[in-house]
Amino acid sequence: MEYLVSKGEMPLEDKLNILTDAAKYDVACTSSGVDRKGDGKSIGNCVAAGICHSFSGDGRCISLLKILMTNECIFDCKYCRNRRSNDVPRATFTPEEICTLTMEFYRRNYIEGLFLSSGIIGNPTFTQELICRTVWLLRNRYRFNGYVHVKAIPGAAPEIIQQTGFLVDRMSVNLELPTAEGLRSLAPNKHRKSILTPMRQIQTGIQVNRNDLVLYRNAPKFVGGGQSTQMIIGATPESDYQIINVAESLYQKFDLKRVFYSAFVNVTGDKSLPALPGGPPLLREHRLYQADWLLRFYGFRAEELLDEKRPYFNVMLDPKEDWAVRHLERFPVEINRAPMEELLRVPGIGVKSAGRIVAARRSGSLTFPDLKKIGVVLKRALYFITCSGRMMYPVKIEEDYIVRNLTTEKDRVRFGSDGMSYKQLSLFDDVEFTRPVTVIERQQAAVGQL
Amino acid sequence: MIVYRCEDTLESVFTAIYQAYEEKRNHDDTFLSLTDDPLLFAEDIPVTADEEKTRKVMGTLERRFGREDCERLAMALASEDEGKAQAIYRTVVQGLRGKSRQGHLFDNLADVWVHRAFALARGVSTEVGHQLQFLRFQELENGMLFSRIGPKNDVVAFLMPHFADRLPIENFVIYDEKRNLFGIHPARKPWYLLRGEEADRPQNLRYSDREREYQELFRQFCHTITVEGRENRKLQRGMLPLRFREYMVEFQ
Repeated sequence: MEYLVSKGEMPLEDKLNILTDAAKYDVACTSSGVDRKGDGKSIGNCVAAGICHSFSGDGRCISLLKILMTNECIFDCKYCRNRRSNDVPRATFTPEEICTLTMEFYRRNYIEGLFLSSGIIGNPTFTQELICRTVWLLRNRYRFNGYVHVKAIPGAAPEIIQQTGFLVDRMSVNLELPTAEGLRSLAPNKHRKSILTPMRQIQTGIQVNRNDLVLYRNAPKFVGGGQSTQMIIGATPESDYQIINVAESLYQKFDLKRVFYSAFVNVTGDKSLPALPGGPPLLREHRLYQADWLLRFYGFRAEELLDEKRPYFNVMLDPKEDWAVRHLERFPVEINRAPMEELLRVPGIGVKSAGRIVAARRSGSLTFPDLKKIGVVLKRALYFITCSGRMMYPVKIEEDYIVRNLTTEKDRVRFGSDGMSYKQLSLFDDVEFTRPVTVIERQQAAVGQL
Repeated sequence: MIVYRCEDTLESVFTAIYQAYEEKRNHDDTFLSLTDDPLLFAEDIPVTADEEKTRKVMGTLERRFGREDCERLAMALASEDEGKAQAIYRTVVQGLRGKSRQGHLFDNLADVWVHRAFALARGVSTEVGHQLQFLRFQELENGMLFSRIGPKNDVVAFLMPHFADRLPIENFVIYDEKRNLFGIHPARKPWYLLRGEEADRPQNLRYSDREREYQELFRQFCHTITVEGRENRKLQRGMLPLRFREYMVEFQ
């Protein structure tokens, strides 16, 4: 039996290919949260809103150079492409290679910074050290002042996580699966506790650092952009209710900046993972992100959106519409008088337009055309608002009526698809009207059988 | 009816605003126009840009409305729209008349002209945002970074501060091929704009040896990072309009 032996060093091109491919399922990739001016000597600055430099074929943004340090891994998580027992080509970057790539891409305005994750090589502490060394090199030798996001490796020594934190803008520890049972069944080497420990450490680090910064203005910043995490959706049987509850408590108890949701893509074909004939659960992921925004910016609480009896989001309506039609007693809202919190709860009014409404109504009462200018989506909002006591059209404030109008034509349940096959007869709108004539029918018509 | 005929520059429009106030015109019956289209029963007054008057107007605007709103006015003036001068003029009149406080010039969106100016400024600021995202530098033989863009609005002046802050130790040029306008940043020195003649259009640029390599690496990176199971070209098109792709290395 012959073994393939690699001849010398692998070209940079192949390494980049392998390690990008291995990192692409990680979604926690934004460049936001830090506003840092350039210092005039080194390369780079950061913009608080973040900048996306390109968009890949799946429509997701390319903001950071998202790569793994290495895809060699001692762990065997069932959902992961880089698991020990999976037969894929392996590669490892040297710290210098990562630094050069980052610098050259950055000065050409291809990327906003570096996102560095890694498979576990040797042990967690060693891996974290490698990451830390690379970022140190990038900051101090290559004088890079842009955005850096790295992973905190669960199980790594706290000192090395602390050191890394002073070099980077954002750190993240992936929660991977929302519940401890899920984690136990799919990721035998990871434990809930080992994931939450570094998360807590980073949180305390950030708080301590905030106090230091008050005292000493030039104290080094610790993870200035906050920390984030990601959860895989649809690999284990958790409900949406459980997931947003976990997200809410992460925001409240761990001060996370973002929780990311990643629709599960079955890349390993493991027998304990669900088969997804309809592709990854993208709509579910979308609804979770919508709910996540409601939690963070609109003053909603998790138990308002879902409860034990209704543990999943509505497929047809977004979470805010869904909440609104179930709470019709709170509507309609008067645009010219309602406080900001109430405006924010109206479907079709976002944070920006609510702010603009509050500013604009100081100079005179607003009408529906004005709302349109301001950017309110009247198509959704018109069932829930009045301007100077009037609604836009005479509409019924009634759940069925509103739901019927909010769902678009193509989303509505198609006739016959729910097994109901009777309906009012009509001469003119036969459903089969546009069906092309078949060859047999043409022949029958020709010989007079039809 | 009075019509001030301005040129398509910030100085010219601000001078016209100064004159309208100096000559005590009835603002509801006064227009600022960038074109030569004749208007019936109108008295035309040509405007020659004046630095002193521009400075005075800018000073007043900044004192009354604050820095942020002034920047928005400047952005609206960088728009390609022909009605921008009038919109700016009436927005300023409305603000001075209604005693808008600092940072509240654009509050009254129910007003037609304020909304117009607001929409223009928003359009330009969106394009500035897009260019910050999608502009690409290419390294020339002498190590200088060169970028070619073809924006709808005149945005180079708004791009330069960002890149000058970001790449202080680089020599770079942003070239607007539609207006033949160069934004030039020499390393460690302040940036400036240069309007070129027809003969100045850059041709036969020679790129450095490494340039092609890195372009290829990035192209591969963009290709590999796509998750096949989630392919969604429509979403990609929505986020990255096709008109930018001509200038981006990963779509060549």
